Amino acid sequence: MSQAATDPAGASPRPQEAPTRAPAPEGASDPVEPSLWALAWPWLAQERRALAVGAGYLALSGLAAGFIPQAIRVASNALGAGDAGRAMRASLAVAGLAAVGAWVRVASRIKLFNVGREVEFDLRAKMLANLHTLGPSFYQRMSPGEIMSRATNDLAQVRLLIGFGILNLFNTLFAYLVNIPLMVSRSPKLAVLSLLPFPVFLAITRRFGKAMFARSKEAQESLGALSDIAQRALGAMRVVRAYNLEGAELQRFSDAADKALEANLALARLRGLMFPILGAGAAVASLVVIWVGSGMIIAREGFSVGDILAFQVHLGLVAWPTIALGYMLSIVQRGKVSMARVQALLDARPDIDDALALPVDAASLRGALSVRGLRFAVDGRALLDGVSFELPAGRSLAVVGKTGAGKSVLVKLLARMLQTPAGAVFLDGHDVTRLPLATLRGTVGMAQQEPFLFSSTVARNVAFGALDPDAPEVKEAIARCLGEAQMTDEIKRMPDGEYTIVGERGVQLSGGQKQRVALARALMTSPKVLVLDDPLSAVDARTEAGILDAIDRAAAGRTLLLVTHRVAAARRCDEIVVLDEGRVVDRGTHDALVARGGLYARLAERQALEAELEAL
Amino acid sequence: MSAAATPSRPRPRTQAEAERAFHDDDPLEKATDWSLLGRLWRYVAPYSLALGVSLVLMPVISELLVAQPRLLRAIVDDGILKNDPGAVHRIAGTLGLLMLVEFAARFAQQYLLQLVGQRSMTDLRREVYAFLHRQRMAFFDRQPIGRLVTRATNDVDAISELFASGAITAVGDVITLARIVVAMLVFSPKLSGLTFLAVPPLLVAVEYFRRQARVAFRAIRSKTARMNAYLNEQVTGIAVVQAYGQEARCQAEFGEINASYRDANLVSIKYDALLYAVVEAFSSVCIATLLFFGARSLGLGAPAASLGVLVAFVQYIQKFFEPLRDLSSKYTVLQSAMAGAERVFSLLDRPEPDAPARPEAADAPDPEAPAVRFEHVDFSYGDGPRTLSDVSFAVPRGKTVALVGATGAGKTTVVSLLQRLYEIERGQIDVDGVNIATMPRESLRERFVVVPQDVVLFPGTVLSNVALGEARPARDRAESVLDAVGLGAMLRRRGLGLDAEVSDRGANFSVGERQLMALARALYRDPKILVLDEATSSMDSESEAVCQAAIAEALARRTAIVIAHRLSTIRRADEILVFHRGAIVERGTHEGLLAAGGVYARLHRLQFSETAV
Repeated sequence: MSQAATDPAGASPRPQEAPTRAPAPEGASDPVEPSLWALAWPWLAQERRALAVGAGYLALSGLAAGFIPQAIRVASNALGAGDAGRAMRASLAVAGLAAVGAWVRVASRIKLFNVGREVEFDLRAKMLANLHTLGPSFYQRMSPGEIMSRATNDLAQVRLLIGFGILNLFNTLFAYLVNIPLMVSRSPKLAVLSLLPFPVFLAITRRFGKAMFARSKEAQESLGALSDIAQRALGAMRVVRAYNLEGAELQRFSDAADKALEANLALARLRGLMFPILGAGAAVASLVVIWVGSGMIIAREGFSVGDILAFQVHLGLVAWPTIALGYMLSIVQRGKVSMARVQALLDARPDIDDALALPVDAASLRGALSVRGLRFAVDGRALLDGVSFELPAGRSLAVVGKTGAGKSVLVKLLARMLQTPAGAVFLDGHDVTRLPLATLRGTVGMAQQEPFLFSSTVARNVAFGALDPDAPEVKEAIARCLGEAQMTDEIKRMPDGEYTIVGERGVQLSGGQKQRVALARALMTSPKVLVLDDPLSAVDARTEAGILDAIDRAAAGRTLLLVTHRVAAARRCDEIVVLDEGRVVDRGTHDALVARGGLYARLAERQALEAELEAL
Repeated sequence: MSAAATPSRPRPRTQAEAERAFHDDDPLEKATDWSLLGRLWRYVAPYSLALGVSLVLMPVISELLVAQPRLLRAIVDDGILKNDPGAVHRIAGTLGLLMLVEFAARFAQQYLLQLVGQRSMTDLRREVYAFLHRQRMAFFDRQPIGRLVTRATNDVDAISELFASGAITAVGDVITLARIVVAMLVFSPKLSGLTFLAVPPLLVAVEYFRRQARVAFRAIRSKTARMNAYLNEQVTGIAVVQAYGQEARCQAEFGEINASYRDANLVSIKYDALLYAVVEAFSSVCIATLLFFGARSLGLGAPAASLGVLVAFVQYIQKFFEPLRDLSSKYTVLQSAMAGAERVFSLLDRPEPDAPARPEAADAPDPEAPAVRFEHVDFSYGDGPRTLSDVSFAVPRGKTVALVGATGAGKTTVVSLLQRLYEIERGQIDVDGVNIATMPRESLRERFVVVPQDVVLFPGTVLSNVALGEARPARDRAESVLDAVGLGAMLRRRGLGLDAEVSDRGANFSVGERQLMALARALYRDPKILVLDEATSSMDSESEAVCQAAIAEALARRTAIVIAHRLSTIRRADEILVFHRGAIVERGTHEGLLAAGGVYARLHRLQFSETAV
């Protein structure tokens, strides 16, 4: 059944049923939760044409299927009565109805399942579009894992509800509307008697549907737990070996494997039971028809063997929709919860936006930065306090300080990657909180300390801001920027050159290589203000000199803000600001700071020693 | 990196080519392979009794299945048409009973099969996992851990689908099918012939649609993976996307992936719908044909079959098409299971055993020999540059030797080699006068406890982390080592004790606390040889002061190798080895080395300045 949840067309029992309305919420305790229809309606309305056409096909298919048993009855009765011509005509009708029924059935399934896929497509695209607008406060609240779970599992539930659910809703409706009157018209008594087990069917499948969902979730989770155990132990192999923990680890894994075994067997028992029980139910109905029906024939109550045959087929035609209805009831419960969870992603509103933005001509910006009394606190703890500096257009400034001094926070606040307070950061005299985000971020380009690379090629990562990485001028720029980042030789040695796939988050590259690809990426955009957040922390000394030259070249004609712990880098800047615990503790040129003998001077001494050692 | 590139493939020259080469790399499923099935049998064999019962039940079920239409015919021909209500009740009663027995047998058959599958695959899982634990470190440096985990979990799961889906007993379905065919032929050769005429076109149609659906399904699978990876990356890398203002471009790119995913699904919907519709239509058309020819022969004056026979035949036709329809889907399951089995077995076929002992060459431990001795050891990781060259030193019993040097000088490698996590290229390493290449790995490794740079805590409690791997930890002993390293008091201040929970990777403790816990863990073991690898690097000065006393106390009574940034520990060492670019460049005592004014003297000044910054 878990399979059914992901692949409705391939589901084993092929349920074809859905309820006409959302069932009363169980333990209706949550009055805030919007109703399923309120959530689903906009999406359904958008697809109403396809829905109407699909429902039309389904109605036709239901009619065709419903008249097949009657044609069989006529044929078989004619056979019994020796009327060959009538029997032949009726059997041709069976074949014709079957062919037409199959045709419209295919059409209806395609139409209605496609609706589910279209809605899923739309929802997913809108989801990403909205995620793109959201700021750090959202991403701190909701983990990537949680977002992904909503974008995959919950979205799948919604799709199931919309495509599969609607198909089954109409299908049941038509199956009942066509078959039950036909049965009643032949024998009300037998119709009632043979349909008696059906409510029981409904209850059973609903229970099974719920239990199976719970069990298959358990089975999946137990497999997940198994993966976690293996992942952790294999990732900590050194400790496992150092402490001879192999035995204990195997035991832990083995216990989890036993749990997974139990969960899977519980699921197997449930599956194994459900179909025989339903089969037994169907058999009871069919036995009732035979028993009662044959009694009626013998008692000459106007009933025939053909009627028995027809009743059997009618029962089959309502049995699957009924089973599916029970199954659908449990889908609806889950679908409703999922719909709300998906909707929450669509409804989230950004905390950093253009609400206060005043239009400004981007070309008029020259790149002068001014920070005045900047304070930034998280949970009441100030990460930055009273930070001020002026960085005129075309000049360079280094920010130096220990880990945790607030350097990275400062960098993020400049381009409003965090909630920048108003009246503290100015770009060419404009408060950055009043600048359109696109303009601000287009003017201030950044390379981060722990660079995030995308699992594409080196080239695509460098040309991240370019539309077509294969355009000749872009290819040229990629090669140039990689050269500036001292990557040319290493790139040549990679299996696919600049088209080497860097792996998820760049795992195929070393820390230093990642930093330099990110640097090349920043250099590609040629922004008016270039902000480099410790671009050298994982780069060795030999490469460093080359990169510093490249940074010098890049700084020509633009404003440069360089966050670094390397004195060799800082000394090249026009001014150096020393941050400590969120405050500016010193500022000046390299020579002035060294002469003053503070934090910066000690850093310089230490790095001189390191260089000496390296040279040995 | 080398794994990503196959030499046969030309280098991509554009981004578009690179993407194509990367994303279209979805290998086809493996066809049935008898040798793989033979190997799987080894795991199934212990459960052959349950498997046997399940297999024996299959013909029983097909007999029960085949008998039902016959009874139906009897009800019509012998009961209804002869106006004999007694016969109807008798036969219908038997029919009901047969159905009940069939359902029971079916449940037992399927459940037993699942039991066999789940149990044998759990055994395989354990074997794969145990195999991984026996591989050398270099093996893990090369293989992404995620892939190895997949072998033990998802790949084994794919094999167990063989049992869950019943694909492994598809042969049994063929037998059932044959049994139905025979029953039909016995019943009425002529009607059977008519029905069988419909089989070839049906099979062709089913196979065609199934194949198309399979192609679509494969596309869906690779596109799902790509789409989720893309979305995940957008979420985790959102800051970069926003900083570069690439929202619109990324949405367009994602739109393409999203659309191709949707389109692959639409194709799959089409063929799935066709597949089911065609099977349903076929059985109706068969019944119609049957009635038509029944009627025609009636018209010709020669009743081909009784009404009961016709009724029974309709039932046969329905039972006949069901296994036929499922056969080809079971083949798909078989294919993906074979692909999983191949991946699992090819892992098991290439062992790189961790520290295999050569006991035939083992010497008896020599109580006079130094505890650890390196003699002219050369080593490099894989094909990389030499990490250690011609390293020789000895650690006498009860003495402390310190290794110092810049990052990357080879200090941690010495520790790895000592535990024989990697094999040396040249030279020899002795522990207690025995070449470690001849020692069983457990007895080698239980002599040391290494407190590593990167502390690994496991989810559980403080106690389970301190008494790592012990089923029955000694609480008072754990308390006393925690107090010795000063962590006991720190935890008590936070209101925590031995039973405080440790979350995954110890995220609920500070880096310093984690290092103290690792130190307590080492002291708990009370090893012969203690190895501290930058064990106090992330402690604040307060914790370090407490900890230093504990370390000094621990070192006083045993053999130790210490790698440390901070000098207080090193200063007391009996000998200091200075590593530079993989070689020992200076050795001596703290005072001697300082006076010599070489590398150590500079390192010392460097470290002094670091504590000041």
